[in-house]
Amino acid sequence: MLLPDLSNALADAVERAGASTVSVYGRDRLPSSGVHWRPGVVITADHALERDEEISIAHPDRAGRIPAALAGRDPTTDLAVLRVDPLSLPVAEGREIDSVKVGHLVLAVGRPGEAGMSASLGVMSAVGPAWTTWRGGKVDRFLRADLDLYDGFSGGPLVDTQGRVIGINTSGLSRRFDLTIPRSTVNRVADQLLASGRISRGYLGVGMQPVRISDQLVSALNLAGNGGVIVISVEPGQPAERAGILMGDVLVELDGARVSDPEDVIAQLSSDRIGAKITARVIRAGRPADVQLVVGERPAHWE
Amino acid sequence: MATTEYDVRGADFLAEECAGLADSLRRVTVEVSGFGSGGGSGVIWHPAGLIITNAHVAPRTRGVVELWDGQTFDALVIRRSFERDLAAVWIEAPNLTAAPVRDSTTVRVGELAFAVGAPLGMPGTLTAGIIHSVGRVHPRARREWVQADVTLLPGNSGGPLADARGYVVGINSMIAGPLALAVPSSDVLRFLSGLIVEPVTPPKNEAA
Repeated sequence: MLLPDLSNALADAVERAGASTVSVYGRDRLPSSGVHWRPGVVITADHALERDEEISIAHPDRAGRIPAALAGRDPTTDLAVLRVDPLSLPVAEGREIDSVKVGHLVLAVGRPGEAGMSASLGVMSAVGPAWTTWRGGKVDRFLRADLDLYDGFSGGPLVDTQGRVIGINTSGLSRRFDLTIPRSTVNRVADQLLASGRISRGYLGVGMQPVRISDQLVSALNLAGNGGVIVISVEPGQPAERAGILMGDVLVELDGARVSDPEDVIAQLSSDRIGAKITARVIRAGRPADVQLVVGERPAHWE
Repeated sequence: MATTEYDVRGADFLAEECAGLADSLRRVTVEVSGFGSGGGSGVIWHPAGLIITNAHVAPRTRGVVELWDGQTFDALVIRRSFERDLAAVWIEAPNLTAAPVRDSTTVRVGELAFAVGAPLGMPGTLTAGIIHSVGRVHPRARREWVQADVTLLPGNSGGPLADARGYVVGINSMIAGPLALAVPSSDVLRFLSGLIVEPVTPPKNEAA
């Protein structure tokens, strides 16, 4: 009788994962989910945390609401880290991502409220290489499961058939589909947020807007596509100004990579680029020009 | 050349078991029509001719029940609760094979779940998923549900939601987006309490 065995194994997996999955009260409507990641540390989805204070968590094994303090947010990976007094709840067990294959059965577990724990079943539908979110967050693996993330599931775990955590689910990183942030990325973001409260980001100090480059210029400069990014403001004392970038310059390449949208520029400015010398190709007065820049660090007030 | 051997037999057995489960569920699922609704499905609850369906599938007293083998019977509603969306229907067909029933309070989130019904006029259609949650949808909600991420369509109403052994844990009644909401089997038992189904005598308004 394989079917009842499989059924029981799945229910066991949900129960095991549920032991470290909490409700997170950080918005007015339905709570979202979170994972007790390390002793006293809860990971949740940044987009579902709509306030910075008066956050609490709950778990049926612990009476009442447990106050939580926001340790930091990383909108680029849609993760937020909460600190709580040591919980008498188990810490989530992890699953090595390298052994996760397309086709493996996986479960999303959520705790959207006091009504109890909920789950969703599917298969791993994509296990890809490292990628950069549209907000410039570096994610170690592209993970996507073909399951429904119900309301309040964001911030909850994606687990294997033994209840071991593969990553944190979020509906906030793509409009088209739900994604999972792998455990290793969660660990890295949590380390940074717990240490400094923020994720450092590269910075140029320009305001940008997408523009369309005329066909004449596109062919004259041999560009791929007609998108560009016009500089609409230059912040004094920041890398762009120091390098001589002018208002009205149209960015078309950064460090050899074509940029046709402000998001392309942001994607080039991850924390590991701080201090790096890069070349920006701009169109200035109808002619191409190369400008050398040193990537700065985004000021704290910018968050 | 390096080759990898995969043990596919496990998956084959699993597929066979699924097919067997579908077959036994179909035998305890009936089509309900003519009660003044668009029709739906039902579950053989007692071998003496007791069928359970939704109240919204059988809003009137008289209708027709068709068994999986095509036999049809005149049917009579003998108890109904619109509040709980349940109807008990009696047909004069002794020695039916009744569905095995499991107490829904023992159902765990994550268990496999199967639904059989006649969505869009296709009797015997099977859909599968897992138990999504058990109990109240909201803490202050009055009713309890067994929720499963099983695809339902109109026509599934009144049919069984079953576990991996084919035991009925609920009566499918509502579609909430991608989720199936089923009346818990424990509610069906409460709904039926005190009802005695005699194998031969149909219930009458006045005893002679």
